[in-house]
Amino acid sequence: MTNSNMTCEEFDAALPDYLEGTLDEPLRAAVQKHLSECVRCASLVRDLETIRKNAGALPDLIPSRDLWQGIEARIAAPVIPLAERPEVQRRFVPAWMGVAAAALIVSTAGITYVLTARSLQGAKEQVATLATQGSPIPSKSGSDTGAPQISTEQAPTPADGGGAGSRRPPTGSRMAASDAAAGQNRAGARLAVQQEQSDAVYGREIDMLQKIVTQRKTQLDSSTVAIIERNLQIIDAAIEQSKTALAKDPRSRLLSDQLTHALDKKVELLRTAAFLPAST
Amino acid sequence: MAAVSNAVRVPMGDSADVALAAAGDRQAFERLYRIHANRVFSICARMSGSRVMGEELTQDVFVRTWEKLPQFRGESAFSTWLHRLAVNVVLNARKTEGRRASRTEQSDVEDDRRDEMARAPLHIERMDLQDAISKLPEGARRIFVLHDVEGYKHEEIAGMMGITSGGSKAQLHRARLLLREALER
Repeated sequence: MTNSNMTCEEFDAALPDYLEGTLDEPLRAAVQKHLSECVRCASLVRDLETIRKNAGALPDLIPSRDLWQGIEARIAAPVIPLAERPEVQRRFVPAWMGVAAAALIVSTAGITYVLTARSLQGAKEQVATLATQGSPIPSKSGSDTGAPQISTEQAPTPADGGGAGSRRPPTGSRMAASDAAAGQNRAGARLAVQQEQSDAVYGREIDMLQKIVTQRKTQLDSSTVAIIERNLQIIDAAIEQSKTALAKDPRSRLLSDQLTHALDKKVELLRTAAFLPAST
Repeated sequence: MAAVSNAVRVPMGDSADVALAAAGDRQAFERLYRIHANRVFSICARMSGSRVMGEELTQDVFVRTWEKLPQFRGESAFSTWLHRLAVNVVLNARKTEGRRASRTEQSDVEDDRRDEMARAPLHIERMDLQDAISKLPEGARRIFVLHDVEGYKHEEIAGMMGITSGGSKAQLHRARLLLREALER
């Protein structure tokens, strides 16, 4: 279908710009003339304008369910405060840094365990020897053995300056050694209880984040998921090592800190994974 | 011909809740969600061509909003910022790519129309149009939704999608022609 001035093919070529209103005046006039003479092209323009008009008037769609609960679970999950880092670093930390950090946790946990176990073994032998000999126990900071420094039996006094480092158990008797050991046991029990409570909090947090991450796996790039899972395995290994070491030496502050550090790492990684945008 | 803007639909005056939410107030953020959820869902569902996907993406959008809210400086309306963020979330979601490519990917369907006879004007039901939009090829659908439904300009769409303004215009025209064909059936 043509007219003397513009063919339908020429009209079709000019149509997008005509609908956009960006044709120069002579061409626009030619199009309008063609439209006044060509029923097919006039019908096409009318339909396309109707589509555009109706599209702009489409009402909002309504989700089939309340999406807030899912959103709230994801934004409410990370309740354990983590060290703040600049946004750019948080978003673009290379994967190898995560692996390196987790490897560091594993190695330091292992080294700490070995050193602490040796130190404890030495301290136990020393206490046993001194007790047998009836000698006074030398002043020894609890941190050397991983044991707490404050004994409930030995309240600080003005005479000894009140400092934990200057406190000494009674000297010259077997009772001194057994009192100190009892105090250490009680403090060790307290530490174990605190660790248990802390583990429970971490456990709840990790469970919640783990569920979110599991749900989100399908939304994330498969290579990202693989890196996350690998790093989680490494961190889990560090956690297990720390727990095993702590089971053998529940009074060790160092091992307790090591475990907390590894749990922090796990929460941080899960939290990052939970917040990753889809298919990053 | 300027695109029809949906700006009038956007509720205004939620700056107090925006400030509270940016400071970590979850209740304020829930209020913002209640106000904007349907608009965001509409963008996500229409651009992705799937209501199910739209719901997932809507959740992603609001989680992302919660994270980014402290960076919102109020240089534009919150709704404008939120909708742009929603568009970016959808454009970054690649998982559905290729899944729906088969149905309307037959190219050059407009060639068949050259010899069509004139006929009665299109009568478009909203549901028909919505359904037809969802069946458009992904690229054409996204641009049609952004331009004709959401009121973005070609220059803005080109910037968001990493294409040229001319490419956006061409895809929009293709989308309109495909819709016309679909609605004629």
